[in-house]
Amino acid sequence: MCSPQVPFARGGAEILAERLTHELQAHGHEADLVTMPFKWYPGAKVLTHALLWRLADLTEVDGRPIDLVIGTKFPSYVVKHPNKVVWLVHQFRQAYELDGTDLGQFGDSAEDRATRRAVHRLDRVALGEARTLGAISQNVADRVKRNTGLDAEVILPPPQQLDFRCDSYDDFVLSVNRLDRAKRIDLLLEAAASDGSMRVVIAGDGPDRERLERLADKRGLDGRATFAGRVSEAELADLYARCRGVYYAPVDEDYGMVPYEAFMSEKPVVTTRDAGGPLDIVRDGQTGLVIEPRADELARACRFLLEHEAEARSWGKAGRAIAERVTWDHVVERLLG
Amino acid sequence: MKLAYYSPMPPERSGIADYSALLVPALRRRVDVDVARRGKSARGDVALYHVGNDPDSHGWIVEALRREPGVVVLHDFVLHHLVAGTTLARKDGKGYLAAMERDAGLAGRLLGLGVIDGCIPPLWEVRPEDFPLCGEVLDLATGVVVHSAYVEERVRERGFERAVWKIPHPAWPAPAVTPERVAGSPVLGAFGNLNASKRVPQLLDAFARFRESHPDAQLLLVGAAAPGVDLSGRIAHGGLEGAVVHEDYVDERRLWALMAGVDVVVSLRSPTMGETSGTVVRAISLGKPLLVSDVGWFSELPADVALKVAPDVREVDRLADAMEALADPGVRDVMGARAADLAATEHGLEHVAELYAAALEEAAGGEAVRHAVLREVSAAAAEVGFEPASGEAGVLGRALDEVEI
Repeated sequence: MCSPQVPFARGGAEILAERLTHELQAHGHEADLVTMPFKWYPGAKVLTHALLWRLADLTEVDGRPIDLVIGTKFPSYVVKHPNKVVWLVHQFRQAYELDGTDLGQFGDSAEDRATRRAVHRLDRVALGEARTLGAISQNVADRVKRNTGLDAEVILPPPQQLDFRCDSYDDFVLSVNRLDRAKRIDLLLEAAASDGSMRVVIAGDGPDRERLERLADKRGLDGRATFAGRVSEAELADLYARCRGVYYAPVDEDYGMVPYEAFMSEKPVVTTRDAGGPLDIVRDGQTGLVIEPRADELARACRFLLEHEAEARSWGKAGRAIAERVTWDHVVERLLG
Repeated sequence: MKLAYYSPMPPERSGIADYSALLVPALRRRVDVDVARRGKSARGDVALYHVGNDPDSHGWIVEALRREPGVVVLHDFVLHHLVAGTTLARKDGKGYLAAMERDAGLAGRLLGLGVIDGCIPPLWEVRPEDFPLCGEVLDLATGVVVHSAYVEERVRERGFERAVWKIPHPAWPAPAVTPERVAGSPVLGAFGNLNASKRVPQLLDAFARFRESHPDAQLLLVGAAAPGVDLSGRIAHGGLEGAVVHEDYVDERRLWALMAGVDVVVSLRSPTMGETSGTVVRAISLGKPLLVSDVGWFSELPADVALKVAPDVREVDRLADAMEALADPGVRDVMGARAADLAATEHGLEHVAELYAAALEEAAGGEAVRHAVLREVSAAAAEVGFEPASGEAGVLGRALDEVEI
């Protein structure tokens, strides 16, 4: 299992790689996780760090052959192996859909433009040589098709293992996210501000927390917005078990584990039309509500769930039926098959 | 990135002017384009020169290329006519002889002298494909854009080692025209100047044979007959009076209307100068099945879009067989749908413009990126004592090549 590592940062991709390694072992395979540090700036650093993966010889170790490598996130899939599978978490998005946006990396200089194109060529080679190219969501599969012309099979990763259960449908909406701007927690706070009785619980921590707490104060939410911070697995399972529904609407998310976790707790999900990955499973009026990314629409959606417990129950149960079909057995079978 | 763009442009009448009129607006959505006026210079981080075989359209572009090397779009591999027009026609015999010697050594120089002295017929008329005379343009090119694997191979055969990008010809969006149909079924159409390389005798012979089993079939020929092509005589000889309709020069709109009205577009060619065919590109935009010669760029058309016939001794038989296959409306429908799909995807304007932008951005900054990567890698290698010529350095070099860095 190949996964890059950004020192001192840990997110969904790292958890996913560790989890798959564990599941491969549980399915009777000898599997190990290989990581290398990744730094993508300045200039051509993104290419030299990709080259590190190319130079890693994973065909054998200590005289024993390695039968298969699985690459995940850029640039780990640049690794060379006669039997390479890629389960694509994401490409280097700064070279594609984020180019020219605030989240982009490459400027207008000739060298920057050419570096971006070199990433494109490298991707076409590295992804093109994979025996199986899987993607963790339809959104990621669509992107790789658009970016490289390659077809990827959608292989959805199951959620983490928590003590998923449904205890009640209390009158609060839950948000579970790392707190950064792309997750759009401010939209939830603005929605709560426009509805005088709506309560929200925000689990997670991150660089945007201070700004969000100031915003909650400024909007006079007076305890209706609770910042729970980083919570334990047991606390998280408990929040899922008690909430009325879950808000999850990052911008163009690769995948998004939260909707699956919400569904495993039989809770509906409110998301937005531009959220990307969550749209694979959140269906408007079936497993949750899909809205435009506006505070007034979000307030209306949350109000609907708070006033219609029967629908919240029904959509949550429908979501659970979907989430239960996403299993590690299936993932392992597709990647190794 | 700013691009200095050299090409004939409308109202100049040439296929390459039409090409640039289509491409430039799409390119401008990606890079800043400064289009050079005829005979003038343009400014940019990188220059792009459209080079074809017509000396009137492209002579000034080659002069600009001499002043500032850049990326060349090689619309024709054979540039003999261009070189003759920019040397001999300007009383520059030495220039022509130098080009011939560069292509074919001393024998080439002697043949050139023979042409100048009138001892042998002009080579650009009788054997241009044997003396392509593209050496100077390739020497000046920092990279080359081609439209076909055929031309890419020819370019590589001549020892060109810099970047080559294969970029399909963009498809024109089919205009909203009312099809103008010739009475008959099926109707085959051939479009473009009717010169010796268009295989008109073979086409007429095959059509006459096809018509024996399809007496209602019609052949529409659109384009001026070149001097020496006795079209009416040929038609009479084949007993095809009333079965062949000939239209001389037609304007662009009528060309589309007439093409939209036929069931099959025929585009035969031999010898090839490595060129693409604007007619074929228009035909796929209209979703028309094709019958083409199995040469050069035409050979690379997908088999489910075009039936291909080699220009050999069995050409007429095989053309007649292909016409027979294309008489089936079901076959035409399937091939036509695939042609329209090809126009929208591989030849889609935005796709082609993106390929140009990628090539030009690489041309402008690729060298700097390669140097930056090599600097970092070689510095790290040197720090731990790897010599430049060592096996370890070779491993690094191969890894860089593999991922096209």
